[in-house]
Amino acid sequence: MPKTKKPRVALVIGSGSVKCAAALGLWKSLDRAGIPIDMLVGCSGGSLYASTMSLGFTLDECIQYTARLWNKDVTLKRNWNGILGAVFPSLFNFGDTFGMVSDKLMLGRLNQVYGEKTFADTKIPLTIMATDFYSGEMVTLAEGKLVDAIRASIAIPFVWSAHKVGGRTLIDGSASNPMPVDVAIKEGAEVILAMGFQSPLPTQVKSISRYAFHINGIMTNSLYHSNFAFHNAAHHAEIIPIFPEFDRPIRLFDTDQIPYVLDQGEKATEAQIPYIRKLLNI
Amino acid sequence: MEITITPGKIDVLAVSGTIDALTAAEITASFNKHIHDGHPDVVADFSNVEFMSSAGLRAILASVKEARAAGGDFRLACPQPAIDKLLKMAGFHNIVKIFPTVQDALASFGD
Repeated sequence: MPKTKKPRVALVIGSGSVKCAAALGLWKSLDRAGIPIDMLVGCSGGSLYASTMSLGFTLDECIQYTARLWNKDVTLKRNWNGILGAVFPSLFNFGDTFGMVSDKLMLGRLNQVYGEKTFADTKIPLTIMATDFYSGEMVTLAEGKLVDAIRASIAIPFVWSAHKVGGRTLIDGSASNPMPVDVAIKEGAEVILAMGFQSPLPTQVKSISRYAFHINGIMTNSLYHSNFAFHNAAHHAEIIPIFPEFDRPIRLFDTDQIPYVLDQGEKATEAQIPYIRKLLNI
Repeated sequence: MEITITPGKIDVLAVSGTIDALTAAEITASFNKHIHDGHPDVVADFSNVEFMSSAGLRAILASVKEARAAGGDFRLACPQPAIDKLLKMAGFHNIVKIFPTVQDALASFGD
């Protein structure tokens, strides 16, 4: 760890849907301690928070946007064309845009918050993760419209359709890199605050959609573990894990739990503040 | 950070405090010195480790490698829940023998 210059600090917010709101608690804690962030990386649900932070929105604005964007309403409207296409593929022209939930409301809300803003408008450098549907490769998005990057990053398999960006068909970043610590390492971060979450696994599997989520969750969690192990062992950047503890299940759209999730994020971060300050010599 | 050594048939090295970028080198050096002083079998008591970062994980890996290269093994005992969660996240339960108590870890060398 060089002592002559301030290490570059990255905040990586991995996938985790509503749990990612813990990043707001983390931010609150860092802000209070005067700890600056030099770069942000967001994946899936984490891309929503990384984006609002990088644009310089206030914490209160971020909380409001979260409540506006990320609630059960966005999952209510089924994409019947997609669902019927799964049963009658030829008749309903099944393809790579399959998703069981309509994205119209969600896309509309993303546009309300981010509108025409691009990566060039961010105050802190931002990278958003997605996955190339056809090659399976991890895709880092750092230019273009934020709405497109976020929409691609949160294209949860089976729930929302893939999103086309720059000619590529992209899906949820968690399919290739649920906690993209490596992106921060590659960008030269020396201190990496890594907040990530495992996918919740349903306790009952009584429908084809639950079955699909379950399998998807198992695979994402395994990927999360193996990537985390590799990043920690193979690199010399200091990775500070910030894993909030939850004493209750937090499901995909439990937005009523956001205040609690935020508090737990703040609590988990507070415990690391003295060490982070020491590392940064502030 | 402090390391307390309890000698025995298998020595127990109890670590207290944090294992991070500021302390990992010292811990690795202490563990490795102990291993090369004729004690390739080691139990590291983690009951008083409060925090660990990636540097801490790398320190454990280095000591495990060192102990095994010397013909012994480096085994962990009673990590706190937060530390154990991190160890599980990083896949350490698959490559390092981790026990709920120091007694269990010591007894495992008799297997």
